[in-house]
Amino acid sequence: MYEFTPLGWLKHCVFHPIEGFEDLRWKKQGSMKIAMTIVVLFFIATVADRQLIGFAFNNAYTKVFNVVPLIVQSFVYFFTWVIANWSVCTLLDGEGRLKQICINSAYALVPYIVSLFVSVIISNFMVLDEAIWLNAVSLLGLGWSIVLMFQAMKAVHQYSFLKTFVCIVLTLVAMLLILFLLILLLSLFQQVYVFFYSLYTEISYRIRG
Amino acid sequence: MKTVQMKNAIKKIASLLVAAVSMTSFALTALASEPYDSYIYDFWDDPVPAQAAYKVDNTYTGKNVGLERLRDPEDELFISVNTPTSFSGIKDIFFEETLEEFWIADTLNNRIVRLNKDMQLVGCYTGIDKSESGVLNFNAPNGVFVVVEDNGDVIMYIGDTNNSRILKCKATDALTCENLLEIGKPESAIYTSKSQTFLPEKILVDTAGNIYAVCTSLNAGSAQFNYLGEFQGFYGANRVEVTAEIIRKRIWRIFASDEQLKSMKSAAPTEYKNFDIDAEGFIYTCTEAANATMDAVKKLNAAGYNIWNNEAGNEYHFGDIISGSTYDAATNTNYSTRLTDIDIDENGFINILDYATGRVFVYDEFCSLVTIFGTKSNTSDQKGSFNGPNALESAYGNIYIVDGIKNDITVYSTTLYGSYLKQAVLLYDEGRYVDAEPYWQEVLDRNGTCSFAQLGLGKAALNRGEYKKAMEYFKDCYAQKSYDRAFKYYREQWLQDNFIIVFLAVVLLIVGIFVISLLMKRGIIKKRVKKVKKAPERKKTKKELEHEAELAAEKAAKEAEEKAALEAEENKEIEKEEE
Repeated sequence: MYEFTPLGWLKHCVFHPIEGFEDLRWKKQGSMKIAMTIVVLFFIATVADRQLIGFAFNNAYTKVFNVVPLIVQSFVYFFTWVIANWSVCTLLDGEGRLKQICINSAYALVPYIVSLFVSVIISNFMVLDEAIWLNAVSLLGLGWSIVLMFQAMKAVHQYSFLKTFVCIVLTLVAMLLILFLLILLLSLFQQVYVFFYSLYTEISYRIRG
Repeated sequence: MKTVQMKNAIKKIASLLVAAVSMTSFALTALASEPYDSYIYDFWDDPVPAQAAYKVDNTYTGKNVGLERLRDPEDELFISVNTPTSFSGIKDIFFEETLEEFWIADTLNNRIVRLNKDMQLVGCYTGIDKSESGVLNFNAPNGVFVVVEDNGDVIMYIGDTNNSRILKCKATDALTCENLLEIGKPESAIYTSKSQTFLPEKILVDTAGNIYAVCTSLNAGSAQFNYLGEFQGFYGANRVEVTAEIIRKRIWRIFASDEQLKSMKSAAPTEYKNFDIDAEGFIYTCTEAANATMDAVKKLNAAGYNIWNNEAGNEYHFGDIISGSTYDAATNTNYSTRLTDIDIDENGFINILDYATGRVFVYDEFCSLVTIFGTKSNTSDQKGSFNGPNALESAYGNIYIVDGIKNDITVYSTTLYGSYLKQAVLLYDEGRYVDAEPYWQEVLDRNGTCSFAQLGLGKAALNRGEYKKAMEYFKDCYAQKSYDRAFKYYREQWLQDNFIIVFLAVVLLIVGIFVISLLMKRGIIKKRVKKVKKAPERKKTKKELEHEAELAAEKAAKEAEEKAALEAEENKEIEKEEE
């Protein structure tokens, strides 16, 4: 039936939201390399959206550039989504494997990333009165990506419509749980570190004294 | 040995000299700087250092202004031999423009002190000549307001707080005044339902002769009287700020029983502490409650309506931009902003005094922050710092601040930077951006981070049509809306200048597309054959190659076997036939 290059498959998925991911699944296609590139581009788009957007449109606190929130907004959210989705759907008879979920999710993000880049570029030629075009572009990209993500999850797990919806809601809950546990773990390690550090200082004072 | 000692001695002398020089130079810099840390808020509401726009000019105590004359029997201003010769708990200062005189409510000494423009004593009033109630002497007068009428009569309005009355009296000479009107507690139910007491503090009189009085613990606004002293109603009350506490109470009220409702307090607005009237007759109020955000400063029209109660006005912010209590290094305490007095100067600048930090915030008529100066110190030894700053007044471009604890009057005068800044802001507010340009340039030369100056220069450049330059200035001060406007014009200009190129490019593009499609139709250009419908063969991994080789080998072996079997069968058949 369909014979595409890996990039051709990406194009097929993005422009055929209904059957694209199903085809991808049955043909056992999808490239991890491309998926990872998309995630990196997602990160770059997030940075560009903060730093390179037209001056009049930039509402960020540009005095300080801190990359950590942007990393969280792109990489951490994406991989948390993948892991949470895998954890939930394994329990709910989903057929998708971790790698497939990762690839499909990344493919579904493409319209959103493209809209980010497009709005960054055109915001440099636009005035505030024309901001409606920017909003239109980013809303279109976002909506498209949401539809694609839904279809991707539906195809990869071979779910019904309702089950996909439930699994996405559960995934979001699971994401919150994972992030919460991560923060808890981090603060715990911080305390452990402080404990050992104070132990070290105490001992070093005694040795010196 | 001797040389070593000599060297040491020289070293010692040299180091002593260095120390001495550095000490003196340190002392010099300490003298040159102001007693306060000058700063201003930037676009992000972060405090950034700025040049000092005001410097301490002088400090006047009771001795400096000549209050001793009140004790001198040979002086024309003699009152009695035990009259206090220092101020005590000053609460208010008022500048009368016609006479060019300062009137000071020397509250705890129960008198009104009158000073000329050089801050020298010219009069003192301790009471009135006659009274219906029989009380002649003032008792803790908290506020004073003076009007000079066309016939030259000097009319004083005094908030005689502890006597619960407002006095309107005519100053007949330097020491006596004639009672014209005495306003006691209004008997009207409108008043008594709001307050049981009548303790007028600050007094203000508009051009029609209406008297406004801010009273202690009266949150319905100021009490308003007509020129005959009849109570007219309340004027300009603050609104109740919607906080989480108010919402909680409102919800609780729905479920509460009647008895519970009775015991619940109704939400009351915070009262405003002080007010001032500008040349156009608008009354400005300020609220002293800690960190008041709702109605902290209002500009009221004659009907008592806050004309800043709109979209632009909701963005205005007065005082320090802090949440909760914030640490202040000058007094080593935590503080919340308390705006205790407001003053509108002759140019329309709004000066607001913060009691908590002793800072004066200067705004232009559109409430853009111009400068901040002043400080507080717990030890009263620093000239120019305050301990109990109660009121401020402006005249001659100076700002006069009275301190009720240090009991003195501090005069802050504008520095060169400050005068350039104020001049530039005035021209800017009138819309004369180009006229303001040299002043902004002077300001920027002295303070390179002054974002107001960059905004002003940007607008001047925009007016002159230098859009690129304007964009740079607006970018520096982060004025996004102004930048956007400059960019709009810049883009328009660029399109006009490069119209031919843009037009040609567009035409060429359209023609090109048309020609190519035409040629394609005719078959002169071949349609690009879509590459690789098939997936390109992946490079096979070693394992796969091995696997394939194995398969091939197996296949070959099988074939060979089959062949051999076939041959064997054939051979058998041949053998059979032979048999």
